[in-house]
Amino acid sequence: MRSFLRGRQGRTLAGLGLAMVLVMPAAAPVLAADPVTLRVGSTQDLDSLNPYSTLLVVGYDAFQLTYNLLVDFGPDLEPVPGFADKWERAADGKSWSFHIRDGMTWSDGTPATAADACFSWQLGIDAINSKAGIGSLGAGYLDPGLDEAKVTAVECPDDSTMIVSTEDSSERVLQTYMPIIPKHIWGNETFETIGDAKFDAPLVGTGPYTVAEWQTGQFARFVRNESYWGNQAYPDEIVIQFFKSADPMIQALKAGEIDYARGGNAAQFDDLKSDPNIVTVAGAANGWTQLAFNTYGTGTGKTIEDGGPSTTALLDPAFRRALVMAVDHQTLVDRVLGGYGEVGTTIVPPVLTQWHVEPTNPLPYDPAAAIAALEAAGYPTDANGNRLDKDGKKIKLRMYFPGSDDNYPKVAQFIQEWYKALGIELSAERRGSATLGELVLPPEAGKKYNADYDIELWGWAWGIDPGGALGVFTCDSIGNSSDSQYCNPKFDELQQAQFDAATNEERHAILAEAQNLIYDEAPYDILYYDANLDAYRTDKFAGWQNQPTANGTPLFTYGTLGYTLLTDPNAVVATPEPSAGASAAAPSDAPTASATAAPAASGDGGGDTSSTSDSTPILIVIGLLIIAAIVVAYGMSRRRKASDEDDDDE
Amino acid sequence: MSGRYIVQKIAQAIVTIIAIVLLNFLLFRMMPGSPERILLRNPYLTQEKVEQVRADWGLDKPLFPDQFVGYVKATAAGDLGYSLQFRGQSVVDVIESHFWPTMLLLIPAEVIAIIVGLTAGSYAGWRRGSGGDKVASGTSLILYSMPYFVIGMPLIIIFAAGLGWFPTSGMTTPGLSSASFLTQLFDFLRHLVLPLAAISLGLIGGYSIIMRSAIIETRSEDYVTTARAKGLKDRRVLRQHAFPNAMLPMVTIIAIQLGYVVAGAITAEVVFNWPGLGTLTVDALETRDYPVLQGVFLLLSVTVVVANLGADLIYGRLDPRVRS
Repeated sequence: MRSFLRGRQGRTLAGLGLAMVLVMPAAAPVLAADPVTLRVGSTQDLDSLNPYSTLLVVGYDAFQLTYNLLVDFGPDLEPVPGFADKWERAADGKSWSFHIRDGMTWSDGTPATAADACFSWQLGIDAINSKAGIGSLGAGYLDPGLDEAKVTAVECPDDSTMIVSTEDSSERVLQTYMPIIPKHIWGNETFETIGDAKFDAPLVGTGPYTVAEWQTGQFARFVRNESYWGNQAYPDEIVIQFFKSADPMIQALKAGEIDYARGGNAAQFDDLKSDPNIVTVAGAANGWTQLAFNTYGTGTGKTIEDGGPSTTALLDPAFRRALVMAVDHQTLVDRVLGGYGEVGTTIVPPVLTQWHVEPTNPLPYDPAAAIAALEAAGYPTDANGNRLDKDGKKIKLRMYFPGSDDNYPKVAQFIQEWYKALGIELSAERRGSATLGELVLPPEAGKKYNADYDIELWGWAWGIDPGGALGVFTCDSIGNSSDSQYCNPKFDELQQAQFDAATNEERHAILAEAQNLIYDEAPYDILYYDANLDAYRTDKFAGWQNQPTANGTPLFTYGTLGYTLLTDPNAVVATPEPSAGASAAAPSDAPTASATAAPAASGDGGGDTSSTSDSTPILIVIGLLIIAAIVVAYGMSRRRKASDEDDDDE
Repeated sequence: MSGRYIVQKIAQAIVTIIAIVLLNFLLFRMMPGSPERILLRNPYLTQEKVEQVRADWGLDKPLFPDQFVGYVKATAAGDLGYSLQFRGQSVVDVIESHFWPTMLLLIPAEVIAIIVGLTAGSYAGWRRGSGGDKVASGTSLILYSMPYFVIGMPLIIIFAAGLGWFPTSGMTTPGLSSASFLTQLFDFLRHLVLPLAAISLGLIGGYSIIMRSAIIETRSEDYVTTARAKGLKDRRVLRQHAFPNAMLPMVTIIAIQLGYVVAGAITAEVVFNWPGLGTLTVDALETRDYPVLQGVFLLLSVTVVVANLGADLIYGRLDPRVRS
């Protein structure tokens, strides 16, 4: 016989067929009595369940589901009751009396009292007062909040009262990110040890959900806290699933495997818009992408040997303002961000509607005006059209950006073109985030650093208090967080004054002045305010609400309001019986099919849903084909066996 | 002979591993970026805090001999340090929890790829120039040239997002840990199908192409001609004379490939969100988790060395010529 392989192929095929048959019934797993699970996809992994050591947005949502803050965030980020249900300011404004909820318990049944709140806040206060100073509580992201709020001491005279003393009379104490953890579990930890303490699931909390399980890199599962004091939300469980890249996550959202996707790009986002069961949200991020100009020496007159900016022109506000005018910010938003984002101006992002101001003297995109401004400020061009600085040296700027964002290389190309129109050559190079973080450090951070760059293209994201964004422009921040090396005593005064402001009106006025000062002096060119591109399905959950309502996203904002507002989309149907039946039937189907079964109320689905509902006949046909293939293969292998024996006879 | 041959090969492997351990130390200390800055991605960082962390992690001591001796001692004792990204977890634990998912994916993928690839390759080689060969070689070439994620993405779009037969990604459905064993097994198998298919397809291409050329080479060997001249049936010549000889180079290639595939499946793991060593490596790179990277590199290089050792030893058994 010619083909000896047929018998073996047949057996392989039969083997594969068997495997398929094994898998097929599993394609419709019987998940009877399933809890209602909200599945959230995130491209950001969870780094830690320890609230003191997590650095990531996902980590913040994880600990806030489990632990309450003393005061929570409302629909528009206003202070609303949290661990404390009411509070009162003393007459002098410098101390606050918080009333801790009566009858509240931890999820293990232990009473939750003011002692827990005092213990948790004291950790932060101890850190601030320690030798290592602010930023020494765990990863150092939580205690600065207490410092900004000028908290000096806490005291708990009884189980339901917590007295917080502050140095100033601002209201920032109501917006501090300090989770209240149970003292009966963590009471032996100090501010030095808590950051390394093992917060292993399951954790005991007072939040709406408590973390039950965490599979590193895969998912974190939260179960409803039955003893939660607030609204018991519709999902029984919340699962945050981690994806390594956005494409599979978007596919999972389309397939109905997840209900919410955090973080996509513009193209994926546009693609999702055609799905009737999916809503996309471009939430304003509390941050920006900037060109940070190296202004080392501004206000100090210092220079760096073998480092610092390559031209003194960068120390001149007039020069920097011309660079800002040469950049078409709207084009960046349209072409780089696909329209999802906002043109950048001042240093308090517009998402903080209460504090953001637009510049009084805007610098519109105008290359001709930019050239005129450069000429007027004493920066002529040579015969070849190259722009010269005041030392008569050709201006060649070096820009660096991290590899962490696919948009940066595109931005860099645009900027190169626009600066070229001014006669300024710009080199753009990519560096690793860690390398870049060190590249921009000046000698103030250590002898080996020399801030040898001209422009850094990167971004920042901020907390809820507008004070944070001001921190990177102070003289003190040179050597740690400053990436513009900018120093201006007048700005430092404003930065201090806005913290000390007695009223919000006063603070607003000072912040407006500070925002305009940085805009006019232009140590930064804020290119755009990024957007958070999130998307969610409406067929399994209703009640999605953006926070803040005007320009936020439902989840991954501040607090955990978005999770607790979710409702059953079928609950509104007048005759609950059939729809309840439909949703009860859904789990016994393939998970993807539940997308079709559930939205009986929301009309017929799109092409996607009809294809999933039609898959049953396909499955049957394929099953039959496989059985046929096995039968044929079996028959052939029998025949082959017979002929094998013939062969062996030779 | 064989005793000495084996001892010699094992000694070579040990020397290589020692060299890897040393290189690992140097490599990660030459990388840009100070670990303490990575550890403390913190805008409020003070110089005091940096110093304190440097002391905590032993980074204030000189690279040689203190840090080096500490590193060698700890590595010899199986202590690879602590992960920066997964705060407080030991590197050994982190790697172990990602090792088994990779094995669960790669071992079946290798088995399928070896069976199908060698079969397709020998068929194509034996029937060189036939229609079947053209189809098999063409398909193999296409598969061989495609990275795993290029094979994987269409699989996801068609079979997961489109037809909904399989889940798009992950290894398990979260929240099933209390379900029955059978349910969990089915759930795992459903998740396994697509990544397994992607990696198998990718490997089949390579194996089949190499097997094809190995068979073509043996076709013209004297012993094959002799076997033919004896009047043996065509299939018997292939099965008993050509195939075993063509397998010789394949054994080496497969063994070495086993070492590399652990690292090579990175893109497949990332696309399918498979919680294995590949995704761990990508994560560790992104977060500059040097201790974990160091551990993964050590594991991967040791795997390659051991796989090579295995190849040498098996080859020695299969082909008496190399032993002498």
